[in-house]
Amino acid sequence: MAEIVTAYCASHAPMQAVDPESAPKHQADNFFAGLEHVRDQVERAQPQAVVMLSGEHFTSYFLDALPQLGVGLAEKYNTPSARWLRMEHSLLPGDAKLGEHIVAGLMERRFWPALSYEMEPDHGFLTVYDQLDPTWQLPFVPLVLNCTTPPLMTLRDSYEFGIAMGEVLRSYDGLERVAFVGGGGLCHFVGEPRIGDIDEDFERWFLEELGKPDCGELLDLPNDELMEAGNGTGEVRAWVALAGAMRGNQMTLLSYEAIYEWIIGMAVVTWTP
Amino acid sequence: MSIYQVQKCLFDYLRAREHAPKDARPEIAEIAARGYDLTDEERKAVESLDLGTLYAMGTHPVLINGLARNMGYRKADYRPLLAGSMPPERKVKPRWLKS
Repeated sequence: MAEIVTAYCASHAPMQAVDPESAPKHQADNFFAGLEHVRDQVERAQPQAVVMLSGEHFTSYFLDALPQLGVGLAEKYNTPSARWLRMEHSLLPGDAKLGEHIVAGLMERRFWPALSYEMEPDHGFLTVYDQLDPTWQLPFVPLVLNCTTPPLMTLRDSYEFGIAMGEVLRSYDGLERVAFVGGGGLCHFVGEPRIGDIDEDFERWFLEELGKPDCGELLDLPNDELMEAGNGTGEVRAWVALAGAMRGNQMTLLSYEAIYEWIIGMAVVTWTP
Repeated sequence: MSIYQVQKCLFDYLRAREHAPKDARPEIAEIAARGYDLTDEERKAVESLDLGTLYAMGTHPVLINGLARNMGYRKADYRPLLAGSMPPERKVKPRWLKS
């Protein structure tokens, strides 16, 4: 059966790829040092595939049919967003069999994801994946979460989904080593007057609670209260899902910077497998 | 009509521009003429890409963000553009606020 040999979450901001120098150097250096740390972890752990969670930005799905959860089942993924993100590659290798196992395993556990053979990984995935494997060789399974269009999963739902994901990945007999990664958040406002604001109090509180057993107070946070921290901040659902998958394992905060030039709080956390 | 038709039109516009060569990107009027079920007020806001009105109508902020980026706006532009739609004061103090 597969082991989750690497588990981490990282914020994603297009600016980190398009114009990384726009951030104060010490902040960008600290954030990228966190990503370098997890890349070293990955090199040591040698996962055979990575399963990645990210929020939907109307790239793969729209309001005509928007799932709460969507799983990619493609053998390969075209990534038109890579061009404006100034990335060298444009084709990601998929792991369709692992994707199929995830769908079946989630259904056994009473979660009902949408299927997609043509998912289009956008900046939410690519900024994280490109740092994880700059050669774009590591087979990949994308899972999108609805994080912006109510009604939304609560953080408790996300945690329970993460527990199920942990069980599903560990029950896979097609590989021995899998990386599980969440992208998104932290605090940001999208397409509304407060764009550029960052609620640093929320971010520090969130990161502290995330590392507590069963996420401390986070699972009791109602969606309307979470929304007070920003209408894009709901992407932290991916982080809470990772915490569910890795419950019982120690979380470590590797870096945190509120980067106003990138309009978002940027952090990296990892769980010791 | 439904705000969905407004949003569908704006989404189709953004997608069409994203997929077209730089010198052949369609204008909004061309997309809006494709039969979306819009009221006069909605059509006016869509065809003029009036972000303030579109936002006030309830257009999804992810679409507002895409349009603003497409139109070359930067973060400092949002507040004046959407000034009439500032959110109400908080009714409940979030638990993470210290002061």
